[in-house]
Amino acid sequence: MSKPTANWVKVGDKFYRKQQLYTAVFDTDLELENYTVVGAPYSGAVAIHRDESVIQSYRGAQAAKSTIDIYSCAGKLIRSINWDTGKGSIKALGWSEDEKLVVATEDGTVRVYADLGVDFEPFSLGHGSEDVGVQSCKFYGSGFVALLGNNQLVSVANYHEPRPKLLAIPPSEEVVSWGIIPPAYSLSRSVEVILAIGKTLYTVDATDADDRNFDAGPFRHISVSPRGEFLAFYTDDGKVWVVSGDMTEKLSEYNSGVKTVPKDMQWCGSNAVALAWEDEVHLIGPKSAATKFYYDSFLHLLPDMDGLRILTNDLCEYLQKVPDETVDVFRLGSDKPAAHLLEASTLLDQKSPKADDLIQLIRPSLAEAVDTCVKAAGHEYNIHWQKALLKAASFGKSVLDLYNSDDFVDMCETLRVLNAARFYEIGLPLSYDQFKRLTPEKLVERLTNRNEYLLALRISGYLHLPTDKIHVHWAQQKVRISTDDEESICRLIVKKLAGKAGVSFEEIARAAYDEGRVRLATELLNYEPRAGKQVPLLLDMKEDTIALDKAIESGDTDLIFHVLLHLRKKLPLASFFRVINSRPVATALVESSAWDQDRDLLKDLYYQDDRRLDGSNLLLSEALSQSSIGPSLDKLKLASKYLQDAKEHTFQRTQLDDTAKLLRHQDTFEKELSAPFIGLSVNETIFNLIREGHNKRAQKVSSEFKVPEKTYTWLRLRALVSARHWTELEGIASSTKKSPIGWEPFFNLVLEAGNTRVASVFIPKCTSLTPAERVEMWTKCGLLVKAGEEAFKAKDRALLQDVRDKSSGSAAVEIERLLGMLGSGRR
Amino acid sequence: MAPISPLNASEISEKARRDLLLLLEGVRGKKNLVLEKTLAGPLNLLVKFSTLQEYGVDKPFFLENDNVDFSQRNIIFLVRGEKAKTVISVAKQIKRIRRDSQIEHEFSIFWVPRRTTVSDQLLEEAGVLGEASVSEWPLFFVPLADDVLSLELDDAVSDLYLRKDPTSIYLSAKALMLQQQRYGLFPRIIGKGDNAKRLAELLVKMRSEVTAGDSSSNGPSFLGLAPSSTIDSLLIVDREVDFPTVLLTQLTYEGLIDEVFDISANQTEVDSSIVGGAAPQPGQTGSASTSMKRKIMIEPKEELYSTLRDSNFAIVGNLLNKAARRLQSSTGRDQLATKTTAELRDFVSKLPSYQQESASLKLHTSLAEEIIKFTRSDIFMRSLEVQQNVMSGADPTTQHETITELISRNVPLPTVIRLLCLESTTNAGMRQKDLETFKRAVIQAYGPQHLLTLSSLEKMGLLQSRGGTTLGGPAAKPGTVTNYTPLRRSIKIWDDEVNESEPNDISYVFSGYAPLSVRLIQSIIQKQTLANLIKPSTHPGASAQANPLAQGLRIFDDATKYVKGATFDEIQAGEEKAIKARSMLNGSHNDANKTIVVFFLGGITRAEIAALRFISGKLKEVGGEGRGSRIVICSTGIVKGEGLVGSAIEKAKFG
Repeated sequence: MSKPTANWVKVGDKFYRKQQLYTAVFDTDLELENYTVVGAPYSGAVAIHRDESVIQSYRGAQAAKSTIDIYSCAGKLIRSINWDTGKGSIKALGWSEDEKLVVATEDGTVRVYADLGVDFEPFSLGHGSEDVGVQSCKFYGSGFVALLGNNQLVSVANYHEPRPKLLAIPPSEEVVSWGIIPPAYSLSRSVEVILAIGKTLYTVDATDADDRNFDAGPFRHISVSPRGEFLAFYTDDGKVWVVSGDMTEKLSEYNSGVKTVPKDMQWCGSNAVALAWEDEVHLIGPKSAATKFYYDSFLHLLPDMDGLRILTNDLCEYLQKVPDETVDVFRLGSDKPAAHLLEASTLLDQKSPKADDLIQLIRPSLAEAVDTCVKAAGHEYNIHWQKALLKAASFGKSVLDLYNSDDFVDMCETLRVLNAARFYEIGLPLSYDQFKRLTPEKLVERLTNRNEYLLALRISGYLHLPTDKIHVHWAQQKVRISTDDEESICRLIVKKLAGKAGVSFEEIARAAYDEGRVRLATELLNYEPRAGKQVPLLLDMKEDTIALDKAIESGDTDLIFHVLLHLRKKLPLASFFRVINSRPVATALVESSAWDQDRDLLKDLYYQDDRRLDGSNLLLSEALSQSSIGPSLDKLKLASKYLQDAKEHTFQRTQLDDTAKLLRHQDTFEKELSAPFIGLSVNETIFNLIREGHNKRAQKVSSEFKVPEKTYTWLRLRALVSARHWTELEGIASSTKKSPIGWEPFFNLVLEAGNTRVASVFIPKCTSLTPAERVEMWTKCGLLVKAGEEAFKAKDRALLQDVRDKSSGSAAVEIERLLGMLGSGRR
Repeated sequence: MAPISPLNASEISEKARRDLLLLLEGVRGKKNLVLEKTLAGPLNLLVKFSTLQEYGVDKPFFLENDNVDFSQRNIIFLVRGEKAKTVISVAKQIKRIRRDSQIEHEFSIFWVPRRTTVSDQLLEEAGVLGEASVSEWPLFFVPLADDVLSLELDDAVSDLYLRKDPTSIYLSAKALMLQQQRYGLFPRIIGKGDNAKRLAELLVKMRSEVTAGDSSSNGPSFLGLAPSSTIDSLLIVDREVDFPTVLLTQLTYEGLIDEVFDISANQTEVDSSIVGGAAPQPGQTGSASTSMKRKIMIEPKEELYSTLRDSNFAIVGNLLNKAARRLQSSTGRDQLATKTTAELRDFVSKLPSYQQESASLKLHTSLAEEIIKFTRSDIFMRSLEVQQNVMSGADPTTQHETITELISRNVPLPTVIRLLCLESTTNAGMRQKDLETFKRAVIQAYGPQHLLTLSSLEKMGLLQSRGGTTLGGPAAKPGTVTNYTPLRRSIKIWDDEVNESEPNDISYVFSGYAPLSVRLIQSIIQKQTLANLIKPSTHPGASAQANPLAQGLRIFDDATKYVKGATFDEIQAGEEKAIKARSMLNGSHNDANKTIVVFFLGGITRAEIAALRFISGKLKEVGGEGRGSRIVICSTGIVKGEGLVGSAIEKAKFG
């Protein structure tokens, strides 16, 4: 076994390693120098597209066809997307974090290919991109920034609902090179762009474009470290500058001494910058230390979060800083406990007693040594060394009295998954850190997208992850490509997926429908347990009434409404009504929304359904909303007519006719009396008339509308009191014997209005009350003598005494007298 | 300690708060917030305005006012997305701003509680979908108190009963489903009412859908679908089952505050002449309070208020006096002299709390005085008299004269309608002739526009002629109307020996009438007590637990026969394995720690809340029926009579 340090290189005081991942990656005929090559983050797929600006030899019609090819890191062709040149020339290719391929063309159209498939979602960058063209794009995890022909920058923050936003406008001179700081790592938390224009640099965000006043330019390359903490610039005179992320501090400068400008400059993790020429790489570490690598053929740099993939026709290598744990264990002459532990473990294998000596030596820091070995195993690509390290850890562990083995167990599981994914047929050479960042769920998703169902299922089972997505993906694939007859496909899918939790048959059915297998889609959809899920597809399949029924079944009014809106647009009115007629919930929803928005629809609905009362009410409501009386009366007439044949609504009809009558009266009153009447009720009209002294008119209204006598009396009383017509009230008291509502209300209301004198007039008329109540009434009016007399008349001594207690002055004397009389009368 | 109790109010508010702040954080920089008026209350309960400011909110606006200005680049709409009307109004405002403003704005729309396909569709048609970044704020339950969770759906009543729009049922199901996913299935769902049944069906359906749903998006919820070991059951009552309770005037303190001043989201607005014009509390979202009105937070956690709120108003005066005396005795000046230094220090440290208490005492005394004014009014007495007579079973025609008089005296329309509806709903409708007389009287007194009001009331089933609708349909089928006569006896909804000061039965909340809705709940969770109440044990010595009436669901079954709407009883069992796993995880529980969830579909009154709290208190007592010690009250919102009939009242006028 070769030493693990064999591929290490020392740059300054740090070690870097060049891990060979795969060999014989591409066909040797493939002229990699003529291709744009981009790699998805986390060691994902590699997309290559022939650079159309480069002339190349003709190889027959087949090869001349333009394609975007997606390869695994090991050079296995996963997908080939035909690109007909009619779609426009490709200006940028890039990947998102979740392995969506993003293709931007010159005319500002962006196509997003999800799940490594051939189907895409297009959107336009807008902001004039179709006229000025797209120059280039820079991508980050969840979005990208496009540089347009007029130097304007358009940012797209997500692909789910892309909303291209224009950033602040930089000067219009030629952009030499540019880079972006992703929103997650910028100070402002939104994307920032660094543009090299002329000799200086501009930073651009949503609101400002700042000149940073550099004069060392023009900068040929700009590269931002994966976490945005450092920036690297390549100057025209062959120097590499590394500055801090906020551009305040220059950290190092390296002179490459090469006249040709490198083809590419990328960060390798966050510690080193790699310069790439055609077949040469310079790796510049901290403090300007550097080393050079030479290759046999043209190479491409594919940066990742913790390192750099280097891709040539026959090699795929991973260049990264050697992790600290690995350095601790393997560095020549390392005196770290972990190194001793590994040594001890080897000695143990050789049955050497020295093993124990070594263990005793590192005894105090043994736990730390075990941890280091476990971590180092994670960073190791070579299975032999992984095993050796884990064995060492296990040995160390056994010596310790107390050790939490969770990390060890986790690491064993993780390594098993990693090794499976790194296998050349799969070609996902994830580093340990990448795997942790990617998460196992995403790994499974990536495997599923590569149609590696078995491995995906195994890993899911091994790590206890849900498997529904894998099954659905498999079934969708089956539906798309299987040549079996539809029935057997359906049977096969149902048999395989029956009883599997979380499987969405709707998604499978949609795939079938998109493939044109409508019958299969319908059949599959029947297995979908969620009614709501079925609705959109059913609508697409033009199964409108079934969709409506399913929506109603789901109980989700939003869905029902959605279907209804769809139907309303599609169907003629009559058939629309026929559809909703038998479905009360649908009718109710149509009614309630139409009431706010579309009264005409409602009218038609009521007419069609012969709902006379509702129709008439609708007209009444319209009558109410008219601003003048003429149209109101017309509407009322219509409302009344609406009900004319319906016997059960005669009451309603009379009321409507009365309303019209009332309005006409009120209109006359308004003209005659120039006071507002319209809008008042019958009672209010009478009230106002009496208050203003138009008693004749009030009487007339009252008799016309058959206002009950009691009500009329109340109205009169209230109106007179509110107008303070005291004389008239006194007149009533003296002229009328009986009141339909008794005299008490007269007393109460007048008293409330504060006129005790008039109020007292009514007291003697309240003959139905007890003396005590009358005494109370007198007292309320402040007429204590009268109260005393009342009590005296009733010969109620206690009552009289009460009155006395309340009284004072002459009244008291008077009452005392009455009391005396009562007293003497008794005895 | 037992694991966290299910449907925990503070947990729910905390989550809603965090969700909103996260959304706000997603919009960089300062922003103007446009919100629907109905959301202002819940928002105020969950997040202080100062916190919103910390998260960059500059000025709040109401959607209804359509007056958001151009002062900030970012404009956020916080609105409910269920109704097409609001969606269209959002679209219109975005268009207006885009047209009139000099600068380019960034629009965000936070739909509450979910983003709907219809909203997307409508925004797209209006051409603004691409302009705004759209997200959702999943605000379902808003905790009003530790044991009261409200969906705060103000339209629920009119939607459900007038327009027959089941949106609120679906949202309720969603809200309950979220709780089930968190705490496990309700082991039993039982209840009364057609809409309630629909809700129960939806819950069962959603459960199977969640099982089938994409498990990956819900996280590790496979355990969540086993019956909960901490929840006893879910009781659902449809408001339609018991309209009379809402129509009656509430007689508890909190109920009367609601009747007189109107409480919304624990906040009430009182004329400053009553409570003194102190500076408004900081941190209120409603900035537009006029100088005359003052907003007061009804704080459920405040000590004094929590003793007052559920008491019958008749004894509130006494309670206030007692509190005043206690406060005086502990802060009285003459006592200070006699204190040692240690006592003094203790006293000083308590001073802030005394101050707070005395402020609260002052507030409630003024409120109570104002309410007394209201309850002493002739109109209040008259209408209360009618209510009491109708509920105790007097012949309703004897009350007609009083109602006619009230109409002639032009008392506010809602008061009259409440009385009329009360008669109709308790007597399975009114006689055709009487009904027409009253209809005429109402129209003549309040205006012809109320033809529509009366028509709406009929649709809601609040005001009908006997024997079904006026459409001349056949006589009412059994189960479509509630018959109160047998109920007065079989579950004793009228209590002649009511004791308001030391209540021994829920009838205290209405001074005689025991709300039917709560009686139904009692017949399930407090069977023994109810049985003994209906039919006191003949042998005083016999164990109180042995009343034969209390067996099974006898009372419930007996009663529901006479009550309108469907009855249902659903047991939700899970896979045996999952149950075992759950009980292993949570440890075993005795029944006493379980939570009973009561859901009022279509709203609950404050009086009913008081009654339920009373039951909850009894259950907790030693020797109570240990089926559960905690009742959590959930509802689509808080209702009262004015709101119920108000949703039917036509507001337009001629001219």
